[in-house]
Amino acid sequence: MTVLGDKVLLFLALGLSTYGCRAAGFWLMGLVKVTPRVEAALRAAPLAVMIGIVAPAASRGSAAEIAGLAASAAVMLWRRSDLLAAFAGLLVVAGLRALAR
Amino acid sequence: MTETSSQVAQAQSTTFTQAGVRRGFITSQPLALGSLMYGMTFGILALGSGLSVVEAVFMSLTIYSGSAQTAAVGAISVGAGIYATVATVVLLNARYVLYGATLRPWLSGTTTFKAYSALYLLGDGNWVVCMKARAAGESDAGFVLGSGLAMFFPWMAGTLVGALTGGWIPNPRALALDFFLVAFCAAMMAGMLRARPNYLAATAALVAALLADRFFSAGWPIVAAGATGILTAYCCKPRPSDGIA
Repeated sequence: MTVLGDKVLLFLALGLSTYGCRAAGFWLMGLVKVTPRVEAALRAAPLAVMIGIVAPAASRGSAAEIAGLAASAAVMLWRRSDLLAAFAGLLVVAGLRALAR
Repeated sequence: MTETSSQVAQAQSTTFTQAGVRRGFITSQPLALGSLMYGMTFGILALGSGLSVVEAVFMSLTIYSGSAQTAAVGAISVGAGIYATVATVVLLNARYVLYGATLRPWLSGTTTFKAYSALYLLGDGNWVVCMKARAAGESDAGFVLGSGLAMFFPWMAGTLVGALTGGWIPNPRALALDFFLVAFCAAMMAGMLRARPNYLAATAALVAALLADRFFSAGWPIVAAGATGILTAYCCKPRPSDGIA
């Protein structure tokens, strides 16, 4: 097998388009005047994206994964530490997956 | 002189220091392990799909996006052309447009080179950490670069180790590491929901996410939820207490 071969061009194109996505939003916001309305819109982005990641995972997750998400959310509200909460979710999922085997 | 636009005030208040880079790097360490394991998983997967070790590492270096790289390897292995592969990658990475936009107020006060360098390392995990730090009062733009580096190094190391050792590492699924990002996001979400966010925007995002998940392929729900949340919040009357920033 060649070391990099004919895929160099493809990988560079993929890298360039990925970086394009990363830079585009930042660049576009430079052209937009940041009004209170725009700021409110941007402030809503993190939660909306979190929902976009979590909701599909929850809607078609296994019982173990749904229990894991519930554990994460509960520990977060209880201890106010997102890392602790994430590991609690991980523990629940790993444990239930082991039991299911 | 007496006229101080918020833009100027922002530019003056944004610094980029080594201490900031270090803070970002340290604060993001909890996610570094996940990045390492994810990188190893990708390395193994790439080798299994017929890529060489150098190709796998080169891919991690130039693209640096787990979901996009995994999809691209899948597309390559079924013989997809360059345009179809690029389109897949762009769709999966469309959420970065949103992330980049939210970093504008923070990074615009530093030099163009520093801002666009930090953007190269932008990913899901470090963006979440940055948004949280920003809400807690972090203003050093170096933080963004530092947190990106904290994710990038283990990603590269993981890719190399995974590609070299092949099937040696224990099954990441048994350790539920494939679930780490989702669990982390669920925790963040619970915390954000507590902080009196724009509930209308959140509900709209939820509906959009579930609809997109039902009708479109992976990667779309994030884009749909993000865009819907942003648009809804834009159309609402702005309140000072909207969500976290």
